[in-house]
Amino acid sequence: MLSLNKVGQLTDSNKKAGDFVNIAKIQKKVAAVSGGKVKAELSDGCVVLSGKADSWEEAIKVCGAAATPYSKIHVVNDIAVNNLDEKPMRMPAVHDSAIDGERPDVLIIGGGISGASIARELSKYKLNILLVEKEPDLAMQASGRNDGEVHPGIDLSKGSLKHYYIRKGNKMYGDVCRELGVEFKRVGQYVCFNEAWAKPIIALYVLKRKYIDKIEDSEIISGKELHRREPNFNGSFKFAISNPSTGCVCPYGLTIAYAENAVMNGAKVMLNTAVTGMCVENSRIISVTTNRGTVFPRIVINAAGVFSEEIAKMACDRFFSIHPRRGTNSILDKKAGKYMHSVASIKELAASDGHTKGGGILHTVHGNLLIGPDAVETSEKENVATNPESIEKVFSRQKNTMPVLSERDIITYFTGVRAPTFEEDFIIEKGRKCENIIHCAGIQSPGLTTAPAVALDVEKMAVEMLGGAEKNPGFNPVRKPIPALRNMTDEERARLIAENPDYGEIVCRCEEISKGEILDALNSPVCVPTVDGVKKRVRPGMGRCQGGFCSPLVTKIIAEFLNKPLEAVRKNYDGSVIVYGSTKKGEAADE
Amino acid sequence: MKQIVCTVCPNGCALKVERDGEEIKVSGNKCKRGENFAVSELIKPMRTICSTVKTNRADIPVVPVRVSSEIPKEKIFAVMNEINSVTVSAPLKRGDTVIENVLGLGVDVIATSGILSAGKGGETI
Amino acid sequence: MNNYYDVIVIGGGPAGLAAAIQAKKDGAEVLLIERESRLGGILKQCIHDGFGLVRFEEKLSGPEYAERFIDEFNSLSIKSLTLTFVTKIEKKADGFDVHIVNRKGTAEYRCNALVLATGCRERTAKQVFIHGTRPSGVFTAGTAQHFTNLLGELPAKKCVILGSGDIGLIMARRLTLEGCRVLGVYEAKPTPSGLTRNIHQCLNDYEIPLYLSHTVTRVFGDERLEAVEISQVDEQMRPVEGTQKRVECDALILSVGLIPENELAENLGVSIDPRTKGPICDEKLMTSVDGVFSCGNALHVNDLVDYVSESGETAGAAAAAYKKTQRNTVGLERGEGIMSLVPQMIDLSGSAEPVTVYFRSAAVLNNCLLKITVDGVEKFRKKYAFLRPPEMERLVVDFSSFGINKKSKIIFETEVTGQ
Repeated sequence: MLSLNKVGQLTDSNKKAGDFVNIAKIQKKVAAVSGGKVKAELSDGCVVLSGKADSWEEAIKVCGAAATPYSKIHVVNDIAVNNLDEKPMRMPAVHDSAIDGERPDVLIIGGGISGASIARELSKYKLNILLVEKEPDLAMQASGRNDGEVHPGIDLSKGSLKHYYIRKGNKMYGDVCRELGVEFKRVGQYVCFNEAWAKPIIALYVLKRKYIDKIEDSEIISGKELHRREPNFNGSFKFAISNPSTGCVCPYGLTIAYAENAVMNGAKVMLNTAVTGMCVENSRIISVTTNRGTVFPRIVINAAGVFSEEIAKMACDRFFSIHPRRGTNSILDKKAGKYMHSVASIKELAASDGHTKGGGILHTVHGNLLIGPDAVETSEKENVATNPESIEKVFSRQKNTMPVLSERDIITYFTGVRAPTFEEDFIIEKGRKCENIIHCAGIQSPGLTTAPAVALDVEKMAVEMLGGAEKNPGFNPVRKPIPALRNMTDEERARLIAENPDYGEIVCRCEEISKGEILDALNSPVCVPTVDGVKKRVRPGMGRCQGGFCSPLVTKIIAEFLNKPLEAVRKNYDGSVIVYGSTKKGEAADE
Repeated sequence: MKQIVCTVCPNGCALKVERDGEEIKVSGNKCKRGENFAVSELIKPMRTICSTVKTNRADIPVVPVRVSSEIPKEKIFAVMNEINSVTVSAPLKRGDTVIENVLGLGVDVIATSGILSAGKGGETI
Repeated sequence: MNNYYDVIVIGGGPAGLAAAIQAKKDGAEVLLIERESRLGGILKQCIHDGFGLVRFEEKLSGPEYAERFIDEFNSLSIKSLTLTFVTKIEKKADGFDVHIVNRKGTAEYRCNALVLATGCRERTAKQVFIHGTRPSGVFTAGTAQHFTNLLGELPAKKCVILGSGDIGLIMARRLTLEGCRVLGVYEAKPTPSGLTRNIHQCLNDYEIPLYLSHTVTRVFGDERLEAVEISQVDEQMRPVEGTQKRVECDALILSVGLIPENELAENLGVSIDPRTKGPICDEKLMTSVDGVFSCGNALHVNDLVDYVSESGETAGAAAAAYKKTQRNTVGLERGEGIMSLVPQMIDLSGSAEPVTVYFRSAAVLNNCLLKITVDGVEKFRKKYAFLRPPEMERLVVDFSSFGINKKSKIIFETEVTGQ
């Protein structure tokens, strides 16, 4: 366990340089920024802020001022915000006893990329693993609402967990995606500059990256070379940092693949299952209550994203705070996909806008372009509604990178909410006060990139916490993906259709998805028989018509699969009815 | 005085209809058809309706129907009620009567598609 | 090999059916490929009447109109493949290789000429920049129509319709008849987009209000749609801040425009007109790629199916007669007041028959003239009582007497004459 000496230095054996805070200085800063309304205290190894703020933005500003970047002495936000309309966490509609009384070795809370990857790595052992997710599908929040960039780590310095895991994670991607049957491409990234004068400075920066931070593949390329590689980029770019190790992946596809592989190897995934409380005795979690019964896990893994602070609090182990940050991306038609083939962003040296970043452009594994995301602080953890300002702002900025971009090519847009701590680093550690919890919290960008590496470390921590675990002799790391017929040759297709004619019946014409692929998604290890569930797995409705043509057909296939009427099919949530039932009563039965 | 838009042709003339005892005066029309339209709109507006009827087949749950000629506007929902209360079965052909003399209006409800009686059509390869 | 056809028609809606029938009548061996299980295209779900006034002088429903063509198609024993999807078309020296997939497997068919009758798709909520959440209950009119008319399922109980085009108006009536309450039709433009007849018979008859210069700017609801935000718009159709109001409803039906589907055409290198979003064609409806013809809503969005069939017949006849020759084309240009024009060029090496021209005006014009000038000299004029952008105009022009050569500048323009 960690403790603090008087100057606020962590006295744990793991302590690193920088793990101390000068509380007097913080108190002064907090007083100044908050106008005396907020006070800071060093308590239990945390900087606890309490008092009042007039707005969420104000509270965030004060917390930000109190935080020491990358420190393990976290800011805990107890500031009361006047008139803050705090909505309770959205609860699943179902209430039953589906898991009541279960005694898993490991309970993983959260079905995002963190929880799913940890479940998969732990399924290498003969353990009873239960993953609970409050949403009706995996990767419903940040893990399904990001751009899928596998980052190179160019903006991270040594000393942070982000930096520690990003290089490992990035290197693992090829193998992990091959095993899990997920498409991954190393497309490379360009950070573009307009200012020729900055080239020597940036060259030095890249050298530091290369030799000190060990981001080994970074290099400077000339404007000419940049335009040879990406002819549609702004002709005014003088040079760029090139990071060839950058890749792209379908983030929800990878999350689902991890979870499916975990289930194949014996783990259990319970969707629509929300943790509502815990019973903690003698610094140990005894039981965890959900809307589907109470379970008695040996250890708990907190991978609850924006709600990880609440989970920590339930475990009497709250030593950090999450401040949700929204980001919006636009998805462009595949026709625009031909404009560029990498990941790009523009670096405007004059502009210094902190976290209100203008995102970038990314060519996805599916051939679309993604524009974004921006970054906006919010108190609403589950508000993923989009706003026109986000699109306009990011678009106007990215047009500087690639002038050929047009809003007319947008087919849809989405918002995700990141879950950073005020220190802006990950928390991957055993509980500080609670003995049988591991936190995988504060995960934000580049959390997708780091997940494979983080999962391996959490696996080690968990096995140690359990006092060892026997290997699962039947563990199979390979997940066979659902065939993507659109990418096959006519001969390969014909062979599959001969086995299953449903592969020859195209349902979604934009993305060329067959009925067979849709049925495969419905028969997959984590069955989510909703229109969105099918869409996330095999893509009908992801194209330019956005399901205009295929959604009635997909709804019908799901209804037939469930052997239920059409009105029983949902888009995603329990209340997301698609149709209300027959328009006709027909002849009464007794007529 | 009543103002109505003529819907006989796409010109869409703005008609003024005035009733002066027995006499009905129409102005704003560019043709005789407009005058007739205005008079019938004032005395007894007539409409056609199109809908579907239930079938006994799961793969084709409904078949489209329409009224064989115009019905009084105020009878629309009463006729819909009748349409909603029938079930048809194969072999129903296009133009076949689904409800004869619906509500005694002298108008039939007829099928507008032959899908229930259609074979596999032209799949001739 | 028996995989060869003179003409392959892609799409079995009204345009494709007419094209296949005409090509067959003209002596060609024809294959029609349709991705759905039944021929008829979107008309299968357009169960309202009003189709065929020009061609049959009758008010038919969509299925009736389509089935008349399907009957003829079948009586001519034209070959077809349904539930069959074209995955790729390759241009070869002597024709086109069409790759398909269906429940039997994959196959390749060769043809001399190709007719693309691939129809159009609907613009979606995000494409008109509606923001907010992503609940169920937001449908394009066509999707709502599919649920209602083909599956017999009610997609809405209390809905708002955005867009006063004919599809929006017709759905307002259809949903009302089937038991849904339509709270209103909202239109961003200051004038209705649909036919006056439809405003009268689809809205007024059922006391459904029409709100002009209003649009939907936001949707609410995490699961099913709970409400929409309506805003007034200014002349540039931009929402006016402060005019937002919330309307509770369980569905939003969108009729906000159609986009011709030309992905197959574009992959063949066919040039697309940014105005019509369809291929640039000559008077025979041959695109910029020799041997590739376009018709129906893939060519440009029509408002009367009769014109769709007509363009199908033109393309079908030309495809049947197609022999590779050098074209000698001259462009038809849009002048003052013309929004779009089809065809966009005429082939001077072809026969000098009169040409059917379709155009839309750029604005509502009353008492005006359509003029055609060649090198600044007026060669043709026609009077119109009114021209409205939502209504496509059809015109037959005999260019043979205009003294046109390859270098001529042929301009279509309007002139308001005043009363």
